[in-house]
Amino acid sequence: MEGVLPASWCIVWWLLALPFLALGIRQLRKVLDTDRETLPLLSVTGGFVFILSSLKIPSVPGSSSHPTGTGLSVVSFGPWITTVVGGIVLLFQALFLAHGGLSTLGANIVSMGVAGPLIGWVIYRAFRDTRLNPYTTVFLACVYADLFTYFVTSVQLALAYPVGGFWTAFLVFMAIFGITQIPIAILEGVVLSLVFKYILQLKPDILIRLKVFSEEKILATRSDSDALQIPA
Amino acid sequence: MLSRYRLEILAIISVLVLSILFLGMGNGKFTGSDDLASAQISKMTGIPQEQFRPVVWQWVPPSPEVESALFALQAAIGGIIVGWVFGYWKGLKGRDKG
Repeated sequence: MEGVLPASWCIVWWLLALPFLALGIRQLRKVLDTDRETLPLLSVTGGFVFILSSLKIPSVPGSSSHPTGTGLSVVSFGPWITTVVGGIVLLFQALFLAHGGLSTLGANIVSMGVAGPLIGWVIYRAFRDTRLNPYTTVFLACVYADLFTYFVTSVQLALAYPVGGFWTAFLVFMAIFGITQIPIAILEGVVLSLVFKYILQLKPDILIRLKVFSEEKILATRSDSDALQIPA
Repeated sequence: MLSRYRLEILAIISVLVLSILFLGMGNGKFTGSDDLASAQISKMTGIPQEQFRPVVWQWVPPSPEVESALFALQAAIGGIIVGWVFGYWKGLKGRDKG
């Protein structure tokens, strides 16, 4: 879609993205300074954004699209650190893949790195302290972070090209992105909650220290599935 | 036994369901949804797609083969990092147990 977004909108989205990037970098420094053991977890969550966003998955209406992979990072580190992680992945794609160029990088950071993660985080926070199973909570956060990313992409395109009015254009773009994205988002949610299960089994202490879920909940979930512990 | 691997089973089922849907769409071309949106924009505005130019200069992979190689590279980087950390954690765990 390189070059599709007009220059003025590129600037608007860049300006919107920058404060969140700055906030994320500050939070990231703080987290890494206080606890070096968070670095491996950050690498895993970032690694999955790299893997998942590189895959173009064929989907329902005979088109294909990428997952975003941001949900795991959102649950572990919150939305703004995810902005930085997503920004790095998007920069890689902009530099080497012409996949959303440098000029549209700002818009992509806003949709995949700010808006999607924010909604994923809201969902996660809403369910974190309820009786809902942590895996289900992670699943929902991942699904919504993915879906809302494309929701915002549609908003961005409709704002730039409001042919027939904003809402008409928005629905046109949602029809293109939305249907393709739903099965992909569900798949992404399942995969990432599975990854979360393995993190919870191998390194529950880091999840407890970061207060991803309450200690009781993490330990209860673990003992629930204690039998399946990977033998050390 | 089954409840132990509930999530794994769910993951396999969702991959299978998606694959079946995928096979059922045999007539689809599986164009990227972003390319579809670009085509839609050019249809809505009447501006031919070739006229869309990035605001700043942009390197473009010279062929689809190069592009897919770079996408594979991206996935490989992620995979190596993830595998490395899980191995590190697993190693730590084994050491703690002595």
